[in-house]
Amino acid sequence: MLKRILAIIAILIIGYWLAQGLANVPFGQDKMLVGKYYLEHVKDQTGAVNAVTAVVVNYRGFDTLGEVTVLFIASTGVGALLWRKKRKRTAKTEGSVVLTTGSKLLFPFIMLFGMYIFIHGHLTPGGGFPGGATIATAFLLMYMAFTIYEIPHKEFEVTEGFAGMGYVLVGLLGLAIGGYFLFDWIWQTWHLGTSNIGRLFSGGFIPIIYTIIGIKVGTELSGIIDNMLKEEVKE
Amino acid sequence: MSALAGIGEFLVLFGTVFYFLSTLGLIRMPDVYNRMQTATKSATLGSLGVIIGTGIWAIGEGLSIAWLTKTLIIAVFLLLTNPISAHALIRGAYKSGIPLWEGSVVDKYKEHLEKKSQEGGEE
Repeated sequence: MLKRILAIIAILIIGYWLAQGLANVPFGQDKMLVGKYYLEHVKDQTGAVNAVTAVVVNYRGFDTLGEVTVLFIASTGVGALLWRKKRKRTAKTEGSVVLTTGSKLLFPFIMLFGMYIFIHGHLTPGGGFPGGATIATAFLLMYMAFTIYEIPHKEFEVTEGFAGMGYVLVGLLGLAIGGYFLFDWIWQTWHLGTSNIGRLFSGGFIPIIYTIIGIKVGTELSGIIDNMLKEEVKE
Repeated sequence: MSALAGIGEFLVLFGTVFYFLSTLGLIRMPDVYNRMQTATKSATLGSLGVIIGTGIWAIGEGLSIAWLTKTLIIAVFLLLTNPISAHALIRGAYKSGIPLWEGSVVDKYKEHLEKKSQEGGEE
């Protein structure tokens, strides 16, 4: 009881301290320094309508590469922690007919929607990470509805690795063509799609990188689900 | 205000009333199964009204047809998924042994399960 009260008091003090710090930050006023530059130049410098994805992939591409690396390490870490020689799904209770049929029907729709999200990253909200997570949700649904369902493990890991390599390769091509890593060569050297900003074939390398990231995140999270659902089988 | 906007506004109001009834049912109903029934049924219908109503309303206000297309897709998705999730939840609740309301008189599913297990025992 005393511990809880002390914790509540400490949290209240920290909260008051943070609120004091934020009290002088103005709301609704134009205080943008870098943000203004992004908003004014995003269309002619990157070709994307969605400023967030343009910042994430184009202006701050290293961060995204780092995030992808973090996810890859998480997936590898889960795989290493749960590594056993013989592993199987030990679930016994079969889902009801309604559930299995519904999941089977919904699976392609969710996949399609996930792909829609990451292909249209430069036009609509979303991008590679939400799209990939949606695709992983489709696999999770199949895992939850069927006791025997399994993703092709080897192929998924290979796809994941190749997608990660593809990202770095696009960046290295930028290094070769434009002089620095993750240089947007499709937009700034080839001028591909400069006339149709706001349509599907624009946005420089943002759609390509987001397709790669979407595939990578989708396969990665599915792999984590797969790893966590399997249990050790004793001979 | 065009007729389409009027229809849309009516549908949104209709949906919100059903949302309210659904929440009321959630508080008023005696057990999990009754609550689930009110929540699922009226919330699904309410959502359909609100979602499609928004699409029609937007067209009535002179916005593009894309609004209705998107809302229709969301509505169909919701219509397909909501009953399945309710079914899974209810089944899970029954399997984990949550009792029916003491006022309920018939439990055919239990009889069915008992009959099945007896037949299995005789073999």
